[in-house]
Amino acid sequence: MKVNRRNFLKISAASGLFVAGATQTKPALNAFTKSTEASSKNEPQGEWKASVCQGCTAWCAVQVYIINGRATKVRGNPHAKANHGHSCVRSHIALQQVYDPDRVKQPMKRTNPKKGRDEDPGFIPISWEEAMDTIADKIMELRDNNETHKFSVWRGRYTALNGILYGNMPKIIGSPNNVSHSSICAETEKHGRYYTEAYWGYADYDHENAFYEILWGADPIASNRQVPHTASIFGKLKDQAKIAVVDPRLSTTAAKADEWLPVIPGEDGALAIAIAHVLLTEELWYKPFVGDFKDGKNKFVEGRTVSEDDFEEIQTYGLVKWWNIALKDATPEWAAERSGIPAEQIYRVARDFGRAAPKAISFMSPGSNMVVRGGYTAQAMAALNGLVGSADTLVICGGESAPVNSWPSIDAYVDEIAEKGNNMPRADFGGRKLEMPAMNSGRPGGIKPTNTTADSILNDDPYGLKVVMSYWTNFNYSNQGSDRWDEALAKLPFMVHMTLHPAEQTHFADIILPVPHAMFERLSPVRGSNGNLYRHVHMQTGVIESPFDVKIDETEVPWMLGEALERKGFSNLIDYLRNEFRDPETGKHPENGLEFNEIATKMYTQPLWDPSIEKKGDVINGWDEFLRIGTWNSIPYRFRQKWNGNWGTETGDFEFYSETLKKALTTHAENHNTNVDKVMEATNYTARGELAFVPHYEPAYRVGDESEYPFIFSDHRSKLNREARSANCSWYQEFKDADPGDEAWDDVAKINPIDAKRLGINNGDMIKITSPTGTITVKAKLWEGTRPGVVTKCYGQGHWAYGHIASLDRKKQIARGGNNNTILAPVHEALSGSGARHGGQTRIKIEKV
Amino acid sequence: MAKNYAMTIDLQSCIGCAACSVACKNENNTDTGMNWSHHIHTTTGTFPNVKYEYIPTLCNHCDNAPCVKACPVKAMYKDDENGLTLHNADKCIGCKACMASCPYGVISYNKKDPHQYWNDQESWYDDVSATPAEIKEKIGTEVPYYNPERAFNYEAIRYRGIVEKCQMCDHRLDRGEQPYCVSRCPAEARYVGDLNDPNDKIHELLTHDHKTLREDLGTKPKVFYLRSF
Repeated sequence: MKVNRRNFLKISAASGLFVAGATQTKPALNAFTKSTEASSKNEPQGEWKASVCQGCTAWCAVQVYIINGRATKVRGNPHAKANHGHSCVRSHIALQQVYDPDRVKQPMKRTNPKKGRDEDPGFIPISWEEAMDTIADKIMELRDNNETHKFSVWRGRYTALNGILYGNMPKIIGSPNNVSHSSICAETEKHGRYYTEAYWGYADYDHENAFYEILWGADPIASNRQVPHTASIFGKLKDQAKIAVVDPRLSTTAAKADEWLPVIPGEDGALAIAIAHVLLTEELWYKPFVGDFKDGKNKFVEGRTVSEDDFEEIQTYGLVKWWNIALKDATPEWAAERSGIPAEQIYRVARDFGRAAPKAISFMSPGSNMVVRGGYTAQAMAALNGLVGSADTLVICGGESAPVNSWPSIDAYVDEIAEKGNNMPRADFGGRKLEMPAMNSGRPGGIKPTNTTADSILNDDPYGLKVVMSYWTNFNYSNQGSDRWDEALAKLPFMVHMTLHPAEQTHFADIILPVPHAMFERLSPVRGSNGNLYRHVHMQTGVIESPFDVKIDETEVPWMLGEALERKGFSNLIDYLRNEFRDPETGKHPENGLEFNEIATKMYTQPLWDPSIEKKGDVINGWDEFLRIGTWNSIPYRFRQKWNGNWGTETGDFEFYSETLKKALTTHAENHNTNVDKVMEATNYTARGELAFVPHYEPAYRVGDESEYPFIFSDHRSKLNREARSANCSWYQEFKDADPGDEAWDDVAKINPIDAKRLGINNGDMIKITSPTGTITVKAKLWEGTRPGVVTKCYGQGHWAYGHIASLDRKKQIARGGNNNTILAPVHEALSGSGARHGGQTRIKIEKV
Repeated sequence: MAKNYAMTIDLQSCIGCAACSVACKNENNTDTGMNWSHHIHTTTGTFPNVKYEYIPTLCNHCDNAPCVKACPVKAMYKDDENGLTLHNADKCIGCKACMASCPYGVISYNKKDPHQYWNDQESWYDDVSATPAEIKEKIGTEVPYYNPERAFNYEAIRYRGIVEKCQMCDHRLDRGEQPYCVSRCPAEARYVGDLNDPNDKIHELLTHDHKTLREDLGTKPKVFYLRSF
């Protein structure tokens, strides 16, 4: 630093401050002096340390730049092969989360026994010990009364250590009620892939070899999936491939695409089915994959049934059945009437897509199928990859293995009381209600529909939950029908909220426990989504000391709770943790929560860092090296593993006609002593008979009568959202207008100018949006990027209790903007048990305020 | 030989995510509302024939810089060593003549000392949350994620009464690194190169169609936009 008048004054000021503020433990002068010295040399002052960003479910490996113990910057981890050393804009915003003074700083308890939106909880500080004792008392009460099933753990976002707090702890206590948020995430997508090629998970795509991509509601350069990967190759992709985006809103990807298909929300299925129709009638299916007519003559002619005997399939099953049942009349003209997309455009996209086969990708995202009748839409989108032969050629539904250890068995620690509780029916509706098959990989009830937990509490159906421990959640914000959740939470006798920020859910908590920001303040493994052909496991390595009094929710909390339960006469939980966990290197058992966290992490990840364990991927020489590198990559995906009978479906083939779904639906029907048609009826589907087993068109389902609620509401994601947790960051607000059509520091409803004119609404007017479910008041934005008749609005703001930026007035509970979930109806795509937030599921009316 | 740095931004690769702008705030310790890196976005046409464009903006480091001409005290100057248009905070008298003369609106004025939020002694939520001052005291820097490396050749945090602007991360260029906005662009859309070096990659990049902002003004900007969004 140059010596001049300004610096002289500055140094004097800093020294002066130091003298006056002698109580400081870390004097400002020290930091200042250090930076002064170092800045005379122009060299890096910090060190990059490995971690993982969990701002969306791409879960990218990152590095954090640490200077004197402070986290100052974030970048992609160059060792991670899925993200090319990049991280997206969300990763930087995390710096403002971790140092946000509005975070929960210490454990608190409620002093006002009354709960409700209008009640002041009267939180006062308590010690961690008191918190654990109180929770342990509540659990012992359940055990004493043989009602341990009324205990529940709620999980939002999580790391790979979730198996302890969320997986095993409830079972040792004696409850089947561990409820994940997964059903409000993207399960219908998985439904689509499972009933075509038996894969329950997220797909990966070989973009680098694609010539045509149809992106169904996908905006991968802005939001999940694999944003840094897609972003870093998008410029090149545009040189080599054509891109078609189906989205009611002009997203960034749509804006950069060759084709934008602004579909009427919820009508995507018509497009997918019509594209399949064109691929068949125009002989554009990929014959080396699908097969051909025995005589080589195309008999797929509009309106005509084909004999199954005439066609010989190769990798697939049921093409002719599918044609006969669902495709033969589904012309682009037919689809145009339903989808609002001109027939010419549907033909063009279908033909270009087909001509690119097998280098053609159908890429679906939740927007297109987390829709009340979206299960079959998802299947249709997945089936297109079969028609063009890109399934397991360019589209990866599976991936190489990233080997990890499972947790030690709990069998010896589940006593009689617990076993009884574990065998009770679950609180959520998954599987136990005819209208909620909630099938995971074909198993009814395999999904726990998060949003039905509120119904269970409100109606004591089948009993009332009593003690809930909830982490990384904000269910009365993130579930549709949020007002309903406020009532449910108010009714809940005892709830512990383990959270970074005080949030809407915290308002109803009995105990608040401050937890670490996973990216900076804890050690934990994270199984990232696959990307760029690789599977991987990344490490969060706890790169800073937290300025808050935090404990790790997934490990330290169960440890401390185990100790508290032991003091009250129930030692099974702590015995399990003490006895069954040991350091793979030293054999040492944990003696406290932090040691337990480290040992659990080492045990889980041992196959990755222990060079003596064989695996296909990176070779890492020991634990310390693993922490330094921070990621393990598999080998790149070896394509065509599933070909020739290894698809994993009931037939072993890629299924157009899904025997796998038929079996699953039949099982659910039989569990309820009924038939599949009744399941269809109960789950709001219009299909009857064979239609239930093939991808087909279902008309959009909307809540609200058109005469009273003339507009369709369409919800979308932000490129800046850290899953609705970043609205309290100024960097988020300053650049919120990077979401097309949105405004900085605001949360606008985007209305087509034609509609606005009719209603006399001007840009910037405040409007009240009312659905049959609820009301929000936000600013109107006139925007051509939304279809007339459809109001689009981004999710992520409207927090009435999330910090001084996200919320305009804490005491009056005034949010910046409005929460879409307040107006979205609590409806489901019931086959996968998914919260159906998309597809224009609700109608609305608009009034100028 | 002296360098002559210029930037290319490939709009075909740009994903309009504002990571450059957030990274810039991070690197240069700018306060809320002070953005050396920003954007212009436009939505044109009518549904369904709509076009959206996003153009990242920053100081153009003009060869013929109006701000340099306008500055009465030579606080704004062209650096002969690197061809950048730089600001010397020590000389700046805060007259804002540069701001008035800059056709791109990329110079900001410090009406007050930045980052005062961190001195706030009130918490947002009683004892549940902390006060900004409490966090500042625990962390020990003006801003918790403060970047001291900026201090090498510019005021790391500016102060009331002066202007500030993009220095093209001259501290990073000086040590052979790309500016932080370039390094953190997930789309690899940006590059800074030396126009005086015939072997620099920038010449190859400039074989793409390219334009600068308001070429008609004769400012000779050195931020080149390649292809289109």
